[in-house]
Amino acid sequence: MNLKDFLIIILKLCLINSGYAERTKDQMYEIFDGRTTCFRRLNATHQVGCSSKKGGSTGIIHYVETLSDLNFIMENGTGSSYIPVMPLQLLKPSTLKLILDKNLITGIVLYNNSALESYTHERSCPNQMSNVDKTCNTAWNPDGSGILYQDLPFPVHYVNDDDLDRMKACFSKFNNYSYETHSKRSLCSVELDAFMFASTNTPTCRRRSQSKTNLNPVKFCDPLGGENVWSTLFPMDDERARSKSFVALAARLDTTSLFNGVFPGAASPIASLVTFLSTADYLKRMVRDVHNYEMNVLFLLFNGETYDYIGSQRVVYDMERGEFPLKSESETNPMPLIRVKDIELYLELSHLSKGDGIFVHNTAEKSDFFSTLQSNNNFSRLETVDGSIPPASIHSFLKENAKLRGAVIANYKDAYVNKFFNSIFDNVSNVDYHYYNTSDYSTIPPDSIQSFTANVSEMLARSIYSKIVGRNYSGGERVRIELVDELYNCYLLDADCKVHQAVQRKKLRETPYNSYGLYVGVTVVPNLLTYAIGLTLAWLTGDVMPDSGLCVKENHTPLYQYFNMSESLDNLNSTLCYRTTMNFSEAVSPAFIIDDYDWKSGKYSSWSESTWKDLTVRMFLKPAPAHERFTLAIGSITMIMSMIVIYFVKTRADVLFATAENCSPTNC
Amino acid sequence: MDLAKMSNDKKLYLCKWYFKVGFAFLPFLWMVNAIWFFTEAFRKPKYEEQQQIKRYVIFSTIGSVIWAIIILSWVIAFQVNRASWGEFADNISFIIPLGVP
Repeated sequence: MNLKDFLIIILKLCLINSGYAERTKDQMYEIFDGRTTCFRRLNATHQVGCSSKKGGSTGIIHYVETLSDLNFIMENGTGSSYIPVMPLQLLKPSTLKLILDKNLITGIVLYNNSALESYTHERSCPNQMSNVDKTCNTAWNPDGSGILYQDLPFPVHYVNDDDLDRMKACFSKFNNYSYETHSKRSLCSVELDAFMFASTNTPTCRRRSQSKTNLNPVKFCDPLGGENVWSTLFPMDDERARSKSFVALAARLDTTSLFNGVFPGAASPIASLVTFLSTADYLKRMVRDVHNYEMNVLFLLFNGETYDYIGSQRVVYDMERGEFPLKSESETNPMPLIRVKDIELYLELSHLSKGDGIFVHNTAEKSDFFSTLQSNNNFSRLETVDGSIPPASIHSFLKENAKLRGAVIANYKDAYVNKFFNSIFDNVSNVDYHYYNTSDYSTIPPDSIQSFTANVSEMLARSIYSKIVGRNYSGGERVRIELVDELYNCYLLDADCKVHQAVQRKKLRETPYNSYGLYVGVTVVPNLLTYAIGLTLAWLTGDVMPDSGLCVKENHTPLYQYFNMSESLDNLNSTLCYRTTMNFSEAVSPAFIIDDYDWKSGKYSSWSESTWKDLTVRMFLKPAPAHERFTLAIGSITMIMSMIVIYFVKTRADVLFATAENCSPTNC
Repeated sequence: MDLAKMSNDKKLYLCKWYFKVGFAFLPFLWMVNAIWFFTEAFRKPKYEEQQQIKRYVIFSTIGSVIWAIIILSWVIAFQVNRASWGEFADNISFIIPLGVP
């Protein structure tokens, strides 16, 4: 074979190789979706959540099914560090204590293998320090482990079934034998990267983000927050309407969970949200021909309530400063101010998934509303509960006005019926929802969540009607159970649903639906679901205007907004012009807008979310320590050898490289 | 500059200036001076200006050592107490590390 042939063969080989062009890095690692990871949040005094080391935390995979598997590796693992892949139910305070006591675990991967009876990492008394009495006499969330509010010094990641199978396969192939030689052989390992930038507490990370001397300005954290939705049943466009006091109907908009990107929130807040929207819809249709009314209805949807009532605290703060709904009352601003004292009756919807009855938790100042509810009742069990009020936005209002008359309407008496509060399992199966997709409401069974919600809405709407109009409703409108069915479908199953199609505006339509979530998020990222819910409220409570084509009113007034929306659920394509009083208000804690706020006071919510760069998970085969040492030694020896060679070459340069006259320009 | 090609009085002049300028909070200049002129001051055969050069070299060494001690103690004190000094430490930092208190 001559040289030419040889070169051609080499070239061909190179070409074949280039067909499988893959970087060494990509050959080494198997990449997983790393988004469903626990992350860090901060309040005025603490940091909570998880963070990996900078550049990722690495550990040998150990597949765990029971606590004894975990104990086994804690005692027999001879490797340097392990990352157990364990079922969700093992994540509890006792296990964490075990792990933290022994410095062998550098991260946790969680999976789900069975139906759970309860799973909630919220505290047993949610938002305790922001409630009126700050005590925890009633454990509202009795199974709450409080892990959401624990500072974990390692990353915690949740894997889906496919990823779990890959990890399990790698574990059984390389790790699951001869544990005493773990320190000597190559093992299947995983690297979890969820490095959090912020630390210590909110004031510290806010200060550092604003530091003027920092040469490399970094934003360490963002305040939690979003937007509240509000609206009035009757527009406040004349003097008579302005002088009326309000019945406030409120609900919360947000939930949370331990893992980024999974915030289903079915029983709370979706069930109460759907009840809220269905009540608003029914009320609007009931009052269509009412001109003489005694009170107006103020619809309020608060955001960020999970985190010390961000939204309601801000609304109360704005109301008391004379800035709700808009800053000042002037010629150009015909919007009247609403204050806490204008609220005659405050009704809040707490968890309203199917339960064994409806419980009305009254404030200390009694109202006669319960008897009104009773007269419209269609539940076998409707009870009034006095004493401590469950965690709800009403606490923000009671702090301002202890004499506020109101009630929290829920499906629980002294402990949540929802066993999955603020967790990834508060999902569609937790509320037992099935989509019927029907316009024939009689096909929806009476024991469904739809019927339950429709019944609550009917009772509420009729009671509110008699409260604001002064007489019982005698018209023919009925509560629309098919709307309830559709709304649940939107929030639980398919965000590209009929209601969203009906209210969608172009901007929202262009955004992928999978970015919808019920976590309040940070203020710098708009929460699209909040907008969709706001628009739904606008659609349900808006007035149809004679359309001039553009759907904008000439003299611009903040009293109304105008939207082109579908005519009805059955007729999505033909649009009408709706005039609505719905609007958004900023749900950012007052702590972040008061210049010299005293963080230690604990008066307002101080939650912020750390920033991060990557959330990644990758699996690889970690070489045996001997192999690693060998590689290091080879590298070091090569470096030292090359230095020696260079030294000799340099000192004998005149011998090795014959120069013309041994003359360097500087010497000549 | 090549010291080997310099006259002795030029060397003294240079060494003296390096020493003087070092007082303008330039400890590294003293360090350079001490190392650069070490051979001239202690290892070369005696010549007229050597005595003075030797003095400047010794003083430069002392100065740079004192500075080194001061800087080292500050660095240790700052790194140890950065988290507990809180706002003050952040205000005098040019680089704030990520993810630590």
